[in-house]
Amino acid sequence: MNPKSLSLPETGTVRPVTLRLQDRLAAQLPKLVLAPTVIVTLVAVYGYMIWTGLLSLTSSRILPVWKFIGTDQYSKLLENDRWGVAVENLIIFGGLFILICLVLGVLMAILLDQKIRAEGALRTIYLYPMAISFIVTGTAWKWLLNPGLGLQKTIRDWGFESFTFDWLVNPDMVIYCLVIAAVWQSSGFVMALFLAGLRGVDQEMVKAAQLDGASMPMIYRRIILPCLKPVFFSAFVILSHIAIKSFDLVAALTGGGPGYSSDLPATFMYQHAFTRGQMGLGAASAMLMLGGVLAILVPYLYSELRSKKNG
Amino acid sequence: MVKPQQTLSQQLLRYGLYAILAVAALVYLLPLWVMLLTSLKDVEEIRSGTLLSLPGSINFDAWSKAWSGACTGSTCEGIAPFFANSFKIVIPAVLISTLIGALNGYVLSLWKFRGSELLFGAMLVGCFIPFQVILLPMARMLATLGLANTTTGLVAVHVTYGVAFTTLFFRNFYVGLPKELIAAARLDGAGFFFIFRRVVLPLSTPIIVVCVIWQFTQIWNDFLFGVVFSGSDTQPVTVALNNLVNTSFGGKEYNVDMAAALMAALPTLLVYVLAGKYFVRGLTAGAVKG
Amino acid sequence: MASLTIDNVTKAYGQTQVLKGINIAIEKGEFLILVGPSGCGKSTLMNSIAGLEDVSGGRILIGDADITEAAPKDRDIAMVFQSYALYPNMSVRENIAFGLEIRKVPKPEREKEVQRVASLLQIEPLLDRKPGQLSGGQRQRVAMGRALARRPKLYLFDEPLSNLDAKLRVEMRTEIKKLHQRLGTTIVYVTHDQIEAMTLADRIAVMRGGELLQLGTPQEIYDNPENQFVAGFMGSPAMNFVPCTLVASDRGMGVEITDGEGNPSWLPVPNPERLSAYVGKQVILGLRPEMVTDPVPHKADDAMVQHVPMKVLVTEPTGADTMLVSEINGVEINCRINPGYSTPVGQVVPLMFDMSKVVFFDPTTEERIDRA
Repeated sequence: MNPKSLSLPETGTVRPVTLRLQDRLAAQLPKLVLAPTVIVTLVAVYGYMIWTGLLSLTSSRILPVWKFIGTDQYSKLLENDRWGVAVENLIIFGGLFILICLVLGVLMAILLDQKIRAEGALRTIYLYPMAISFIVTGTAWKWLLNPGLGLQKTIRDWGFESFTFDWLVNPDMVIYCLVIAAVWQSSGFVMALFLAGLRGVDQEMVKAAQLDGASMPMIYRRIILPCLKPVFFSAFVILSHIAIKSFDLVAALTGGGPGYSSDLPATFMYQHAFTRGQMGLGAASAMLMLGGVLAILVPYLYSELRSKKNG
Repeated sequence: MVKPQQTLSQQLLRYGLYAILAVAALVYLLPLWVMLLTSLKDVEEIRSGTLLSLPGSINFDAWSKAWSGACTGSTCEGIAPFFANSFKIVIPAVLISTLIGALNGYVLSLWKFRGSELLFGAMLVGCFIPFQVILLPMARMLATLGLANTTTGLVAVHVTYGVAFTTLFFRNFYVGLPKELIAAARLDGAGFFFIFRRVVLPLSTPIIVVCVIWQFTQIWNDFLFGVVFSGSDTQPVTVALNNLVNTSFGGKEYNVDMAAALMAALPTLLVYVLAGKYFVRGLTAGAVKG
Repeated sequence: MASLTIDNVTKAYGQTQVLKGINIAIEKGEFLILVGPSGCGKSTLMNSIAGLEDVSGGRILIGDADITEAAPKDRDIAMVFQSYALYPNMSVRENIAFGLEIRKVPKPEREKEVQRVASLLQIEPLLDRKPGQLSGGQRQRVAMGRALARRPKLYLFDEPLSNLDAKLRVEMRTEIKKLHQRLGTTIVYVTHDQIEAMTLADRIAVMRGGELLQLGTPQEIYDNPENQFVAGFMGSPAMNFVPCTLVASDRGMGVEITDGEGNPSWLPVPNPERLSAYVGKQVILGLRPEMVTDPVPHKADDAMVQHVPMKVLVTEPTGADTMLVSEINGVEINCRINPGYSTPVGQVVPLMFDMSKVVFFDPTTEERIDRA
């Protein structure tokens, strides 16, 4: 439109202000600042993943040897009884841990959301285990669950002579000890997540439901909890992530024992890769762990990204 | 608004609610309480009493032994040297990863460029991978660089895998800053670092606190990297504690174990008590937004 | 102060063209307003002038300097943002002096400049406060102060008043107008408020879909819109668009209209010679609300004035005027009526059509067809 209104200065008089070298450099600064992290991530995350992947295809034992033997390590792993126990344990431990944490977390968050007087103090108490190392948690519960001197003895001394609680030394039950300690440590965190979620729920919607005549339990079940679906989702992902990576707790609480009855994949990997000189097998187990995490994470990230695009 | 008169059943419900919450609080506090009691007893009292019986006299012998005399694997110097090791690892690792995270977050939110979102996504993967998958190559790499079993090596490892989190924190915080602030400063003639230092950093105190607390807790509580990458004299306190508890020379001294465990937990508990608000904010921010 | 020349500037994100060759030249001291619906490219154009976004093609000149490639700091431009973008950690004084500090102006001079700007904007008492302690209007003043302090060649205002309440907005509008008249600054100003555009601008640029539709003085834009979009965009209530057929009869050229009841009327056309090609065809009659009023005696004999009985559908008193909604040719039209004139809803009252300034558009291209 209106090109006639342009009164351009004569070309000869136009003085172009060009970018000086330092300005050109300045324009690249953001990329330069990010570059070290990008490079380190490429090497230490992606590069190492590939490295471990390749290693899992070799016959490496104490030292890496680049002699490729196909997927032998994986077949060996799947036949390995100890790995089978570790995976089975992870399913029991992970399943119970996630389920109990979610249920307890939601319940406590709802109870705390009733305009409780000492809410701040209670919240602090429920959440403090999250600040503690799993090693400390393991040490504490190892003592509490010790049949000779711990809870079992205490209750017996109180007069219940036949009370038995020896899960820590019982190969069939030891995995539940891990669940107890892990739930103690993480359920407060799930509570905090849900409490934050509850506080974010639109109060006008709740008022509208109350005017519609809905009871409080009904409002929670039909209106508020469905709103918290994303929180359930993130809590699930975080908890499963904690479960798969669990290593410290086993190390401190049971050491994988009795025997290898409380092994998890994470301890299996460490044992074989670092103390038993089975590097190839360890690498293969690490890759399977990665696969497990990805199987949970990829759908999660995918739905996150999709909802962001739609939103 | 006038408060409606509460009926009796509502009042009972209310009492029930408080009772449940109080019992839950006791259950959560129990392990800590038992640890404390046990650490103050002597071995004889532990044998004869129950978990909850009070010590006859307050007795800090177990604490001093845990601090400076207990055996942790090869040495018997208590956990004091390892406590110091942890600080030597944690302080530089927290500072470096926070600084890098702040700069990365600044770029990824306020100086986006083509492909920066993709790079951010690629970095985030570092938050999620099971670390078992990088242990073996990292050990080789540290050995190659001559950093195996050194504090420097551990700091490097913690920075490498902590930066993903710190970047996430700062990026999500800076995304909330108005873009016009940067535009205004650029038109005022300020450059990349000048804007960071004079405009962005002064606004970052809350997220710096969150990030430092998060990183401090994570790195202090780490066991996996400590046990894999540290040497016997550079072990962090978590590894030393585990060794102490699982060292089976002579009789078990549970009071010493508990005293050592409490000591190992003390720094992070202290941070939690003093700055719990920020701790929770970090947890939920890292979790919900990640 | 300097002139600004935008020469065939284009901007594309991948396949999407957000600026499709914009040409605008304004003189030193001129006040240019960019208006258009959101997504029309006005903010992109603004950011391109500031150097906050790169352009894909064309040139931008300030005075005789080609600054297309220059870094924002080298363009000597100041910008006032919609969100004000005051540095929250700095006092008002530091906010205003920041740009001078970066340009290494010595401290005493900086202080003098801060004082000058502060007294100009009457914000001296606020100098030691933080932005968080200021009201919206005060922040707005500080934001302007920050722009003024550097005495740049060109000022950019990005919807600076849209976060203020209605009363303050009018006050600040006047203030900006006074400042412009007093300082003679060159200003490019983005707004979506057409009253702001009409009152402040020396010239208005109306944009849509990355194109410049019309550039002209406020009165030109209002009286002589080049197409239906510009006509409808400027003016409140908006111009009425009535589809009708152009006929040549013994009374001359005119358009036929039918009211809601089916009663036909005839209205004259001001410049029949320009429309000869459209006789017998469908056209869009553009009729501003103030062109349909209560009958005024002194205009009654005007050749372009016609009285038509119209049915009152709705009335909306605004105080100064009453907006009356009626219907012709199947579309509702807004009419601006003197509140003293009795217009009971449902009744038929005579209204006066003043056709001297009506405009016509092609129904398919939406372009103006009676241009001089």
